Amino acid sequence: MAVREAAVAGIGRTAFSKSSGRTPLAMAAEAARAALDDAGLRPSEVDGIIDFSTGDSASGPDVARAIGAVDLGLAMDLQGGGNLAVTVVGQAFAAVQAGTCDVVVVFRSLNGRSGNRYGRGDRPALAMRGDMQFAALNGYVIPPMWIAMFAQRHKHVYGTTDEDFGQIALTFRHHAAANPHAMLRQPVSMDDYLSARWICEPFRLYDCCLETDGAVALVVTSLDRARDLRHAPVRMAGFGEAHTHGGSWTNFPDLSEMYSAYAAKRLWASTGLRPADIDVACLYDCFTGTVMATFADFGFCPKGQTGAFFAEGRASYGGDVVVNPHGGLLSEGYLHGLNHHFEAVCQLRGDAGERQVPAARHALVTAGAGPAGGALIYAVDQ
Amino acid sequence: MPPPAPPPPLIDADSAEFWQATREGRIALCRCTRCGAWLARPLERCQHCAAPTVFEPVAGTGAIYSYIVVHHPAVPAFAHLVPYVIALVEFDEGPRLPGILLGEGGTGVAIGQRVRAELTAFPGAAERAVTYRRVEPPATGLPAARP
Repeated sequence: MAVREAAVAGIGRTAFSKSSGRTPLAMAAEAARAALDDAGLRPSEVDGIIDFSTGDSASGPDVARAIGAVDLGLAMDLQGGGNLAVTVVGQAFAAVQAGTCDVVVVFRSLNGRSGNRYGRGDRPALAMRGDMQFAALNGYVIPPMWIAMFAQRHKHVYGTTDEDFGQIALTFRHHAAANPHAMLRQPVSMDDYLSARWICEPFRLYDCCLETDGAVALVVTSLDRARDLRHAPVRMAGFGEAHTHGGSWTNFPDLSEMYSAYAAKRLWASTGLRPADIDVACLYDCFTGTVMATFADFGFCPKGQTGAFFAEGRASYGGDVVVNPHGGLLSEGYLHGLNHHFEAVCQLRGDAGERQVPAARHALVTAGAGPAGGALIYAVDQ
Repeated sequence: MPPPAPPPPLIDADSAEFWQATREGRIALCRCTRCGAWLARPLERCQHCAAPTVFEPVAGTGAIYSYIVVHHPAVPAFAHLVPYVIALVEFDEGPRLPGILLGEGGTGVAIGQRVRAELTAFPGAAERAVTYRRVEPPATGLPAARP
């Protein structure tokens, strides 16, 4: 059987807030309905659902039932963090391409601020098993610590400055000003950045993303079907992942790089594209340090040059590639990376309003930090 | 009032001997009986050659591979210590383990500095933690953070 092509046909999301007062199930159902409505598909047509969580969400079948989809041919609840934000979409495409499913909903829903906060070292969901048992007793248990450890090594190897990290935070905040959905839109100056309080050195306040409540969903169906629906289909050029070194944050060989040093070869081989082809890049930015490493690992600039690339305006409008036009996890909100897919689809449809990147044809989305993650490239249907 | 306890490690059959050694005041890491590789993550069999492993004492010395200075008191057990340093130390045998660099507030700490590992019983902790002290103490008389 010939492999059929797939496409994103719909996108949906809830409001982003600090205190939703709702269950992850309710928010996921709203986002899924919104995505199906956006596509012009009925909930009863859904026959696949894929999501990821760290035990802080609702199960896929539960969400499907909540919208009236009760007979699924595929349900995948993946356990893990932002490193899976490309996996879930890549597998939805694979399921449609293989003919396993016709309409797949992908979602991430969480009360990241009012519920299980990743930045807190006393959250009940923390389980100190595996590698984590050797970090537990020293309280080395939260992501800002782990990524700051990478960032400090990056400073040591490349002479990276505080201002280099600041350029990333400033660029995304500047972009967020044109995004009505963003949680943080007030401009930040370099003085503001440098005078903000330390969180976990070398990270200050604006190096850290904003824990957020909300949900985002996508609908993936066949390209042929998507062409008859409400919006221009958004195709996928390909994706590449890397789940390296057993997921170890401490014994990853070189902390001045990340999973992206391994995923890059798969991404570019699977798509036949190169960095110069990318118009919009939604870089996973749980912290500025993640962008610092992964942007160079994926080949947009030489290693150690990310700060200069941003400082020269090459990561913004009128430059080489617009990075995080929505403001990213740092300024739009931390929807664990699925909001990056929403933005990429908006941009390729030409629906991004004031922040539209002119003539955008290819949009990169990356997911994850440290030892594991992936990247996917969307393309317009022409 | 004493600070809350740090989260307890979930000990498993592969790691039990590491923790037993710490209770006896020793740091012992997992090592292959055939190829001699030191394994950062204890495994029943070697990840390189699949031979059985044992736990062997290490010298307890190493160098700072990277470090952070914790200012935001996100981990209640150590909120009273801020600012404090967590170092990712590369043992001379190879594996890296993270731990608090005792008595340091961040000033003068640098990648590459030599440290000695020790075992520290933080208040209420289920087990003793691997912590570090710089082999050459800081020149300036910084106030020492006490566990």
